[in-house]
Amino acid sequence: MSAPDLAPAPADLTALTVGDEIHGQFGPITRTQLVRYAGAGGDFNPIHHDEEFAKSAGMPGVFSMGLFHGGVAGGWLAAWLGLEHVTALKLRFTGQVWPGDVLSLHARVDDIEEHADGRLIICSLLVERQNGDVALKGEVRAR
Amino acid sequence: MPHEELKGRVLDTVTFPVEAGKIREFARATLATSPIHEDPQSAAERGFAAVPAPPTFAVSVAHHRTVDEASALGLDLRRVLHGEAAWEFFKPVVAGDVLTAHREVADVIQREGGRGGRMTMIIIRTDFTTADGALAIRQSDTIIERAA
Repeated sequence: MSAPDLAPAPADLTALTVGDEIHGQFGPITRTQLVRYAGAGGDFNPIHHDEEFAKSAGMPGVFSMGLFHGGVAGGWLAAWLGLEHVTALKLRFTGQVWPGDVLSLHARVDDIEEHADGRLIICSLLVERQNGDVALKGEVRAR
Repeated sequence: MPHEELKGRVLDTVTFPVEAGKIREFARATLATSPIHEDPQSAAERGFAAVPAPPTFAVSVAHHRTVDEASALGLDLRRVLHGEAAWEFFKPVVAGDVLTAHREVADVIQREGGRGGRMTMIIIRTDFTTADGALAIRQSDTIIERAA
């Protein structure tokens, strides 16, 4: 796995400040990873594993299910903020991800709300392909 | 072609066990690095009763369904895109839980597409409850069918 990898140092939620960022990276994505995710997640839309079907749909070939790279990003955010603290996750799939792609993950603390029962941390997520195309935009909340 | 009258339609309700092996498989398939998804001791040190599911694990309910949403909603898989997925987490889901997933069409939005055809956005909401009836996860998916 290329550095920076997918193992962020766990955050101390009481010490985070607006503007804090982490970055990760993974790839190149393989068809085997897509098939493995299909089996784990249960997404058997053939457009993600059957080249002939993907071409019949006008695509150059198979491409990643958003929930594969989105799931990787979600796990990475949970490893940073602490799974037990994550209260919401939103993933918006803005572009396709292809076998061979190397993805960069960027998370940033956008806002912190102070509540009587603790702080609510609101972070944005951006996933980019090696050419700068934005494949995913998201948000995660933790408290 | 899906229509607005799909709004409110219940797609299905399925009950399934959350298994430690499935959690490990899902964690590895999504390149999760945290040991808590595989090691009960690491999970216990973080306060989990058993190994917890990764945040997007709820999607694996797909293995237990008998209703395929594309056919149930009349969608053409060649034109279908997953636009957005969102989760609200109310309690941790861990190995040994039994979840019931209730899935319905929350909204249908139709728009004129760029090439003159109609683009349809379908919002599907799935509530996952544990055996005691408590809501654990609410998932919302936006499915987009591109214009023909």
